Amino acid sequence: MKTASGPPARAAPRDLRLDFFRGVALICIFIDHIPENYLTYFTLSAIGFSDAAEVFIFISGFTAALVYGRALAMRGVLIAVVQVWRRAWQLYVAHIFLFVIFIAEVSYTVKTFNNPMYNEEMGVGDFLEHPHIAVVQALMLQFQPTFLDILPLYIVMLLIFPAVLVCLRRHPSVALIPSALIYLEVQIFGVDMPAYPAGSVWTFNPLAWQFLFVLGAYLGHAETTRSRNRERIVAAAFWPAIAIAAAALAIRVSWSFHGIWEAVPALFLRELWPINKGNLSPIRLVSFFALVMLVARWVSPRSGFLRAAAARPVVLCGRHSLEIFCLSILLSALGHFLMSEISSGFTMQVAVNVVGIATLCLTAGMLDWYRAVQRMPIAPTAKVISEGSGGEE
Amino acid sequence: MSVWRRSLAGPVIVMLMSMAVTGASAVVARADSEDCATPPELTETDAKLPHVAERLNAHQPVTAVAIGGASTIGQAAGSPDLSYPHRLEQNLAKDFPDSPVNIVNKGVPRQSAKQMVERFPTDVFAEDPVLVVWEVGITDAVRGTDIEEFAQTLQNGVEELKNRAIDAIFVDMQFSRSSTTVINFEDYLKTLHRVGDLAEIYVFPRFEMMRYWSEQNVFNFDDVAAEDRAKLAAQVYDCLGRKLAQTIRRAAP
Repeated sequence: MKTASGPPARAAPRDLRLDFFRGVALICIFIDHIPENYLTYFTLSAIGFSDAAEVFIFISGFTAALVYGRALAMRGVLIAVVQVWRRAWQLYVAHIFLFVIFIAEVSYTVKTFNNPMYNEEMGVGDFLEHPHIAVVQALMLQFQPTFLDILPLYIVMLLIFPAVLVCLRRHPSVALIPSALIYLEVQIFGVDMPAYPAGSVWTFNPLAWQFLFVLGAYLGHAETTRSRNRERIVAAAFWPAIAIAAAALAIRVSWSFHGIWEAVPALFLRELWPINKGNLSPIRLVSFFALVMLVARWVSPRSGFLRAAAARPVVLCGRHSLEIFCLSILLSALGHFLMSEISSGFTMQVAVNVVGIATLCLTAGMLDWYRAVQRMPIAPTAKVISEGSGGEE
Repeated sequence: MSVWRRSLAGPVIVMLMSMAVTGASAVVARADSEDCATPPELTETDAKLPHVAERLNAHQPVTAVAIGGASTIGQAAGSPDLSYPHRLEQNLAKDFPDSPVNIVNKGVPRQSAKQMVERFPTDVFAEDPVLVVWEVGITDAVRGTDIEEFAQTLQNGVEELKNRAIDAIFVDMQFSRSSTTVINFEDYLKTLHRVGDLAEIYVFPRFEMMRYWSEQNVFNFDDVAAEDRAKLAAQVYDCLGRKLAQTIRRAAP
């Protein structure tokens, strides 16, 4: 049953792969953000050069093109723009919420800090030296302490997204060529975005990462136009993708083993490392797209496992990505706190990871249940006020 | 917070204490070599200091520069005479009576790796050292410097030292439980150690040593009474100076 103000009719059933892999990325973000967590040896960052950040931004671009592309086609440019920007506003509010938590954590710890060896050096947490400036800079997305770096990128991506969408509809190259040129400029000239405090830069350089977002949007857009290009690209890229993914896996795993046991050689470490994440090094981009091609080839949107009960919690996490992202940041900060204050032993590792991931999944389940309830008409005559489609992109 | 922590951590602490070589009294007693004990794997290294070895074997004077932050200058202990570079100098002088050893202390608090490398021409090369002890990473971790940039800066610095035939030792971060709760040192530690690994430079594992001392309750770095702070810092610096001297002895036979 559809309500008048509900989401527009779906052109195709929801592609569960998007939810599933975004859910995987969110769980990896939780795990990777806890220092000294053994599980980081098994996250996306351990099997190739890219990590959860690429998955998150790529799928966000992809779904944005699906959701807002539909809105644009059915309800016009103005409505689509308002919907995109409304979503950007939600992200901004979430960012400020996380920032407040950050202030609480750091100011509490630093002010109760009683360590003679470290007093001098902890003082460099510029935030408490100039709170009046730091807060204003955070409001302007210029102050990006740990963990508060990917939402600013996502917000900027959504702000420019209406332009991307309009260009994509004219012709994909109108969006892709400028985007690629800006990316190349970053790679060649090292252009970056200055941030606060002076001398620092945006952790995720939006001038570089926009390329991945636009590529995601392009593929999402191609989905709505039902172009045949996609199958052809996936088929042609299969063998190169296998080769690249296998090489990336072997190299990355050798680095991990080398870190644990020095006798294992770290393949190409001298040549490849460090791989720039902030500017989205081409190595990361290529490694990531190899994985995308393999997923496109091996995982059909109709795959049974996506509907399996075991995959359901992950799918739900991916579906409510904003809330789950914020929660994962909070939980990893808490997990970090517990592990450094009490113990980082095996029992604590298991407890933090199990409780953390279970909390993420249960929360996602609760959010999904609540949304379903909200959308259910209360009485035959009652008019349902829906939140619109903004929340599911 | 601390009461709650203790109640939860009770079993762990009891276990650690029973394993500890010394009790809480170590905090006020002067550190002896037993207090400074660390597991042998922490100080194992194949790294070599050829230029230092050459000078020592020829009984020539050895000049070294210690560049770093507040802990290099010995700020917490109250005087550069109590800092680990000075302790290192004393220990080396004892071990190598035929070679006058001079360690120039160039610690400046609150500096990032990049700022230190910028100081190399004036503070390091001007002294014409054969060895640089480079204590680095805390400010970068606290400020959250971009990790790849941090790696690149270290590699550039190492390159400059190698080009001038200067041996180098890295000293990694200090440990304290309460600072690790707000700061993620792990990535910076890994990066520093990886740079050392690639350049075949010994990374003195101060973080792991201090963590070991903290876990064994040899030194308690958190919740120290005000009047014991400087004393504790001096003891830790003393241990670090000795440990560094040991590794130099081994790397420059």
